[in-house]
Amino acid sequence: MTDDNKKRTASFLEKLRQKATTQQHYGGGVPEEEAKMDIRDCPNCGAGRAYHKGLTSCAYCGFAFMNITLTDGIHIRKENNS
Amino acid sequence: MFDFFKKKYSNPELLAELQSRQQRWFVFLDRLEARMEELTDAGIPELQQVFKEDTDPYKRSHYHMLLGLMGQFNNMRDKANEVKEENIISFIYSAEAALPPVTSPAGSEYYRYVHDFRMACLDRYHLFDDRLNEALEALRHAAGEQDLESAYQQELAAFEKIKDQFTCKQCGGNITIPKMFFIDTYIPCPFCQSQNTFSPSTAARMVLHNARELAEQRTAELRRAYESSRPQDPVLYKKYLRAMFDEWNRIVPDMAGENEKFYQRLLEEYTFNHYK
Amino acid sequence: MSENPLLAPIHGITLEDYSAACAKIGSGLSEDDVAKALGVELPVWQEANLLWPERMKQDASFEIVTLFGQYFGQADQHPKFNGLKADTSAAGNENTVRIKSDKDFYQELEVARNVAYEYGLDGAQWVADKYGITLGDFQIAASLWNEQIHQDIQADFQGYTSRQDGYKTKYQQLFTDAQGGNVADDIQF
Repeated sequence: MTDDNKKRTASFLEKLRQKATTQQHYGGGVPEEEAKMDIRDCPNCGAGRAYHKGLTSCAYCGFAFMNITLTDGIHIRKENNS
Repeated sequence: MFDFFKKKYSNPELLAELQSRQQRWFVFLDRLEARMEELTDAGIPELQQVFKEDTDPYKRSHYHMLLGLMGQFNNMRDKANEVKEENIISFIYSAEAALPPVTSPAGSEYYRYVHDFRMACLDRYHLFDDRLNEALEALRHAAGEQDLESAYQQELAAFEKIKDQFTCKQCGGNITIPKMFFIDTYIPCPFCQSQNTFSPSTAARMVLHNARELAEQRTAELRRAYESSRPQDPVLYKKYLRAMFDEWNRIVPDMAGENEKFYQRLLEEYTFNHYK
Repeated sequence: MSENPLLAPIHGITLEDYSAACAKIGSGLSEDDVAKALGVELPVWQEANLLWPERMKQDASFEIVTLFGQYFGQADQHPKFNGLKADTSAAGNENTVRIKSDKDFYQELEVARNVAYEYGLDGAQWVADKYGITLGDFQIAASLWNEQIHQDIQADFQGYTSRQDGYKTKYQQLFTDAQGGNVADDIQF
C-alpha cells in the first residue's frame, strides 16, 4: 500500500465520518424524556374524570372527550366507553 | 482458387491481444481488490468507534457511515462492470465476428482461444465479486450487535425505581404503576378514581421498539441451528420460532395476544412453503 | 366490499384515518396534532398506532398493507386533516406541489435520494434541505406515481432504465464532487 493510497483512504474516511456524525438526521434527534403523569379535567364543566364512568365523555355534563367508539385494544377495552 | 481455403488461418496479433488484455484485466481487478482491503481494514475500526459513540437510539450516524462506506464498494463494482462490458465482453464479440467459421479447423481453434479468454476473465471477475461481497458482509457486521439485553435490564431497574414515585394529579394520592408500560396509558387513582394518564420514558418506549430484536438475540443459537441444518429441518425452525416468540412475549407481555396471531401466520406460511 | 375482519376500525380509527395520520406525521405533524385531528386522546391514538401495524403483520393477504399505501397517497384529501400543515417552512411549498404533479421530477428526486444514502448522507434530510419536501410528502408522491411508473416500465423498459441511469450518473457525479472523489478513482483499466 503506497502512502498516497493510505492518505486517500484516510481522508475519505475522515470526511465520511464527519458527514455521518454531524449531519442532521431526518426527524431530528430523539429527546430523552422522563416518565410523567398527567390529567385532563372536563374542559366544559371542570369536573375530574372518573375511571368507572368511562373514557369517552364527562360523567357530569356529558361533554364528549372523544367522538369515537372504543374497541378491544391493548389496555383500553370496549367497557371503557362512557 | 482452392488454395485460398487451404491456407492456414493465423492471427498472432489476436493471440497477443488476448494475452495482454487478460493481464490488464487481472491487474485492474487486483488493484481494486487491494483498495477494497485497504478500505475495509481502515473502515472497520472507524465504524466500531462511531457505533460505540452514537448516542442516537436508532444508531443513525453509524447507519449512514456504513451506507457511505458500502457506497464506495458499489462504486468499485460499477467500475469493474463497466470495464467488463466495454473491454472484455464487447471485445469478445468483435473478435469472434472476425474469425473464420467455427466449423473450420482454424475457426474452431481460435474460438477456443477466445473461449478460454472469456472463461479466465469471467472467473476472475466472479472471484472479485465474491471478495467484494465478503467485504460488504464484514462491514455490516463490524460493529456487532447493539447490547439490547443490558439496555433492557437497565430499564427494568429504572422502572422499579420510579414506579412508586407518582401521585394523582387530582387528589395527590400515591399511584403505583402496576407494570411497565410502553405507550401512554390511562391509570385510575386508587383513592379518588380519577383518570390519570401515564407517559412512559423514551427509554421504556424503546424496549417495545427493540423487543423483537432482543428476543432474536436471545434465541440466536436456535436460529443458527436451524439455518445450518441440511436439508433445513422444519422441527428446528418451529423450535426456534416458538422460543423467539416466548422471549418476545416475556419482554412485552401486553403484546402477547397480538404476537401470537403473528406467530400463527408465520407458522402457517412456513408449513405451506415447506411442503408445497 | 371486503369481508376482511382485520379492516374493522380500532377505537373508531379507520385504516383511512390511520394511513393519512402516518402521512401527516411524516410531513412533520406531531402526535398531539394527529390525535387532536382524529378526535382522540394520546393513549387511544398510541394504541391504534401500535395495533394497525399488527393487523398488517397478521394479514397474509396483504390487503391491509396495500390499502394503507393507497390511503397514504390520498392523505391530502382526508377531511380530518384538511388544511392541517406542519409548522415548518418545508410543508406545502412549490416543490411539494410539483412532486405530486410532475412524474419526472419525482423520479429524478427518488434516484437522487437513494444516491445520497450511498454517499453517507441522510437522503430524506437532503431532499428536505434542498427542496423543502418532507418525507411524508415524498412518500405520498411515491404512492401516487407507483402504478403509472409500473406501466411505464412495462411499456418501455429500456427507456425507463436509461432515464434512471441518467439520473443516477448525474447525482453520483454531484455527490462524488462534494466529497472530493471516490477512493478508487485513480484505478483505471
